[in-house]
Amino acid sequence: MIVTATDIKRRYGAGEAAVEALRGVSVAFPKGEFTAIMGPSGSGKSTLMHILAGLDRPTEGSVLVDGTEIVGLDDNALTQLRRDKLGFIFQSFNLLPVLTAEENILLPLSIAGRDPDREWIRRLIETVGLGDRLTHRPAELSGGQQQRVAVARALASRPSVVFADEPTGNLDTKTSADILTLLRRSVDEFGQTIVMVTHDPESASVADRLLVLRDGLLAEDSAGVAAPVVAPAGQA
Amino acid sequence: MRRVALRGLLARKTRLALTALAVALGVMLIAGTYVFTDTINSSFDRIFSVSLQKIDVVITPDTDLSGDDGTTVPLDASLLRKARAVDGVRTAEGSVSDQNGTVLGKDGKPVSQQGAPMIIASLNGPAFESLNVADGRFPKTADEVALDKGTADKEGFKLGARISVQGVAPRKRYRLVGLTTIGGVPSLGGAAFATLTLAEAQRMTGKQGRFDAIDIDGDPGVDPRQLTARVRQISGRGTVVRTGRQEAQSQSDDIRSNLSFLSTALLAFGGISLFVGAFIIFNTFSITVAQRAREFALLRTLGASRRQVLRSVLLEGLAIGVLGAAAGLGLGIAVASGLRALFKSFGIDLPSSGTVILTRTITVSLIVGILVTLIACVVPALRATRVPPVAALREGVALPETRHSRLAFPLALVLTAIGVALLVLGLFVASGATSALSLTGAGAAVTFLGVALLSPRLVPPIASLVGAPLQRLFGLTGRLARENSVRQPGRTATTAAALMVGVALVCFAAIFAAGANKTIADAVDSGLRGQVILQNQAGFGAFTPAAGAAVKQIPGVEVVSPVRGATTRVQGISGKEALAGIDPAGFQRVYRLTVVKPRTPGRNAIRDLPDNGLLVETGYADDHKLKLGDPVALKTPRNGLLRVKVSGIFKDKGQLVGSLVVSNRVLQQQFGVDRDQLTFIGLTGGRENPAVKRAIDARLARDFPQVEARTAAQFTQDQRDQINQLLGLIYALLALTVIVALFGIVNTLVLSITERTRELGMLRAVGTSRRQVKAMIRLEAVITAMIGGVLGIVLGVGLSLLVTRAIDDFSIAFPVGTLVVVLIASGVAGVLAAILPARRAARLDVLEALAYE
Repeated sequence: MIVTATDIKRRYGAGEAAVEALRGVSVAFPKGEFTAIMGPSGSGKSTLMHILAGLDRPTEGSVLVDGTEIVGLDDNALTQLRRDKLGFIFQSFNLLPVLTAEENILLPLSIAGRDPDREWIRRLIETVGLGDRLTHRPAELSGGQQQRVAVARALASRPSVVFADEPTGNLDTKTSADILTLLRRSVDEFGQTIVMVTHDPESASVADRLLVLRDGLLAEDSAGVAAPVVAPAGQA
Repeated sequence: MRRVALRGLLARKTRLALTALAVALGVMLIAGTYVFTDTINSSFDRIFSVSLQKIDVVITPDTDLSGDDGTTVPLDASLLRKARAVDGVRTAEGSVSDQNGTVLGKDGKPVSQQGAPMIIASLNGPAFESLNVADGRFPKTADEVALDKGTADKEGFKLGARISVQGVAPRKRYRLVGLTTIGGVPSLGGAAFATLTLAEAQRMTGKQGRFDAIDIDGDPGVDPRQLTARVRQISGRGTVVRTGRQEAQSQSDDIRSNLSFLSTALLAFGGISLFVGAFIIFNTFSITVAQRAREFALLRTLGASRRQVLRSVLLEGLAIGVLGAAAGLGLGIAVASGLRALFKSFGIDLPSSGTVILTRTITVSLIVGILVTLIACVVPALRATRVPPVAALREGVALPETRHSRLAFPLALVLTAIGVALLVLGLFVASGATSALSLTGAGAAVTFLGVALLSPRLVPPIASLVGAPLQRLFGLTGRLARENSVRQPGRTATTAAALMVGVALVCFAAIFAAGANKTIADAVDSGLRGQVILQNQAGFGAFTPAAGAAVKQIPGVEVVSPVRGATTRVQGISGKEALAGIDPAGFQRVYRLTVVKPRTPGRNAIRDLPDNGLLVETGYADDHKLKLGDPVALKTPRNGLLRVKVSGIFKDKGQLVGSLVVSNRVLQQQFGVDRDQLTFIGLTGGRENPAVKRAIDARLARDFPQVEARTAAQFTQDQRDQINQLLGLIYALLALTVIVALFGIVNTLVLSITERTRELGMLRAVGTSRRQVKAMIRLEAVITAMIGGVLGIVLGVGLSLLVTRAIDDFSIAFPVGTLVVVLIASGVAGVLAAILPARRAARLDVLEALAYE
C-alpha cells in the first residue's frame, strides 16, 4: 500500500455550526493503481484528497503515506514529504507564468535542490509530447499543453503518488481525453500511482478503481467496500 | 527558486522601477550629501595645503574663544621680534587676514551679499606668499589692491579699475593692479580675496602693530617639529604654534566641523526619505504577496519549504534594494552638483573643484539602501510563508488573518505612546544637544510608525469625511472611489502614512517658522526702544565702531549704543557661552532689559554696571543657580580669567543680548573686542524719522558700505527673510519625501487595479465610460492622499505644539493659510499620482478584463 487512510473524520467549525465533511472513511491505495474519487458537491471528496496529501489535517484518524504516519507531522516534515513522495496536478494548471515550460517541469527538482535525471526527463517530455514547446512560456501554450506541462511536472520527481484535482475541469472533451490517456500511460508504463478527484464519469472511466463519496462516507468502492484490494478491479 | 524570484521581478518592470525608486531617492540624497561635502572638503584641503606649503611653522591666536564670525584677538607685533630671535629661524613675517572686510562691486554693493566671506589680507614676502598673480602684479603702495581672479571676473573688473574696500577703517578706493589665483584655482571657495600691502592691510583692518599670523621659515636642516617646540617656548599664552602641515590640517578640520552640521542635516533628510521609502516597499510587498498567494501555495505543494518561500521574497527585496541603492548612488553623484546649486540659490556658496567619491560614500549608500529594503520586506515575506499549500487548490484565496494583525491595534497604541514619551524625554528631560536631538528624532520616527499602524482604524472615518463632498460632486463614481479606498484599510493606511510623514514635517516646519517669526516680531516690539539698528549687511558679523561714531554726528541722532559680542567659558559650567557687551550709560534708552534683581530704588543695575559686574539673564541664572553677588570667573581669549560678581539679573524679552552681559569697556580690555555686533540708535523725540534715516543711509553708503541701517520693521523683516529662506530649503528637501510618497500612491493604485481587473471589466460592461473609470481611480487617489494630508497636518500640529513648548519664550502661531494650502496640495498630488494608473484602468479591454484570471 502506498497510501492507507484509517477512519478519517473531519469536522469544520464547532458547536451548532459544525460541518462534518468526513465521517469515518477508511481506504487504501496500492502501488501502481489509478483511482478516481467521485461524488456530488459537498460529499467530502476534495477534503479526503487534501487529507491524503497532507494539505489538511483530519479531526480523527490516521494516514500512512509510504509507511509514514503523516497526521501530526510538522510543517518541515510535510514539506519533505511533498518533495519526496507527492505530485500534484491542478484543475487550473497552476504553472508559473514567468518560467518556460521546461523550467516549470523541473521546478520541483530545483526546489528540492536535486539534479534532474536527464534520461527520465527526456522520456517524460517525449511521453507528454512537448518536445517543440519547451522554451515557451505558459501564456504561449494552449490549455491542453499547459496541463501536459503540469503532468510532466508532477511526474518529474517520480513521486510515490500523484494527486490530481479535477485535471480536466478546464479542458474541452478532446483535450481532456488526451490528458487522461497520458495519466493512464503513466500508470501503465511507469507504474505510477494516481489518485484523481473528478465529477466527470467519462474521466473516472479511465481509472482502475472508482470510489464514490456521499455525505462524508464512502458509498461505493469498485474494489469492494473499504476492503483494500491489490489487484486492479478493471474499469468501473 | 532564485530564478522564480528574479524572473518574477523582471516580469513586472513598472512595479520594480517604482519600488526601487522609493529607495533610490533617499539613497540619492545620502550619496549626494557625501559627494557634496567630500568635494567641498577636498577643495578646501587643497587650498589650505597650497597656502601653507611654504611655511615651516606658524603662530596664530588660540581659536578656542573666537567669535561667531571667526574673529580672534590678533598677535602683538613684539612676538615677531621674539620669533626672529629663536635659534633655527631663518625668516619670520607677520601677516593679516581678516574675514570682516567688504569689497564693493561695480554696482556699489558688496560683492558677496550672503554667506561667502570677503577677506582682506596682507601681501606676504616671496618666502611665504601662496597666491600667484595671473595677470598684473602684487600691490606695492597703500593705494593698490590685488583681487582674486574669480571675483574680478564675476564683477567684470579689469586691471586699473577703481575698487572700494572697507574694513575697520572707512571705505577707500584702490587701484586694481593684479588678479590672483591660489593653487591654480581662480577663487578661494567663492570668497572675495583682496590683497593689500601689509601696512595698509593692518590699517584697514584696525590691526596696526598686530598680526593674525606669524609665518616662520626655518634654517636649512632644521626639523619643523623641533622648531615648533622652540617657538612655543616664547609664544606665550593665548597662542597656538603649529607646523605648516599641522596648520593646514587644523584649518581643514575647522571647515569639516563647520560643514558637519550641514551634512548631518542633509543626511537626516535622506533618512526621512528612506523611512518613507520603507513604507512604500512594505506596502508594495504586502500587496504583491497577497496577490501571489496562489503562487506561493503552488511552490509549497511542489515541496518548497517555508524557508525557501521566505528566501525567495527576501531575494526579491534584495534585488530591489541593490537596484535602488545603486541607482540612488548614481543619482547622488549626479545631483551633488545640483545640491551645490540649490544651496547657492539659497545664498550659500560653497567651493568645488573636481567631484570626490570616497569608498565610504559607496559602501554606506549601498548598505543603507539594501538594509532598509530588506527590513521593509521582512513582514510581507513572513506573511508569504504562512500561505497554506492547500490554497493552490482553491479559488480566490485570502491570506489567513494572523494573530499579528489582531495585536496590531494595541501595538500601534503602545508604539505611539513610546514615540510621544521619547519626544517628551528628548525635548524636556535630556541634557546635551546631541542626545536631545537624537531622542526627539527617534521619538518622531516611532510616533509616525505608531500612527501609521493605528491608521487602518482611522481610514474609514477620514475617508467618509473627505469622501462625502466628493460623493456629492461626482455621484456614483465618487461613492465607488470612497468604497474602494476603505476596502483594504491597511493598504490605504500605509500608502497614506507615507505621505503623512512628509506632510507632517512640512506642517511642522511651517508652524515652527511662523512661531519663530512671531517670536522675533514680539521680541523686537517689546525689546527695542531705539528707532534704528545698525548691522553688518551680511546679516551677521561684526563691523567697525567708526560707523556708529559717524552716525552719532548726524543731527537728529541722540543715542548710539553698540552691543558687542565675545565667546567665553564660565568656570564650573561646561561649554562655551556668548558674552555680550553694552555701553551701560545709554543702553536703556534704546533697549529694554527688565531688571528682576536687585530692585533697589535709585540705583539701576544696568546703568550703573561696574567693571567687575556681570548681568545674568533669569533663565541662565536659574539653570546654573547663580544668585546676586555670586562670584563668576570668565575665561578670556588670552587664557586669563576675568573675575566678576553677579550684579544684576534681568529678563530679555527681545532676546537680542544673550545670557551674560558685561560693559563694552571690559569686553575690549579683557577680550580684545573692538567691533560692534549690533548698534541701537535712538532718534530725537524717540520717534521714527525718515529724513534722519535717509541721512544715516547716505552717511553709511559713503564710508561704511559694510554697515546697513534698519528700522525696527526692516530688522524684523530681515530676520523673517532669513527664516523663510531656511524654510524654503527645508521644503525643497522635504519635497523629495513627498515625491517618494506619491510613487507609493501610484504603486498601490496600479496594484489594486490589477487586482480589480475583473470588476473594472464588469463596470465597463454595464456601461461605465472610460472617463468615469478614470475619475473613479483619480478620486480614490485624492481620498488616499487627503487621508495622508489630514493625518500629517494633525501630527505636524501636535509635534510643533510639543516642540515649541520646550523652547523658552517661544510664541506659537498657526499659519492657517499654509495648512489649508498643504491640504489642497495633497489632494492635487493625488490627482497627479493617479494619471498613470487611471490611464491604465481606462485602457482595459472589457472582454479581456472579464476573462482575466
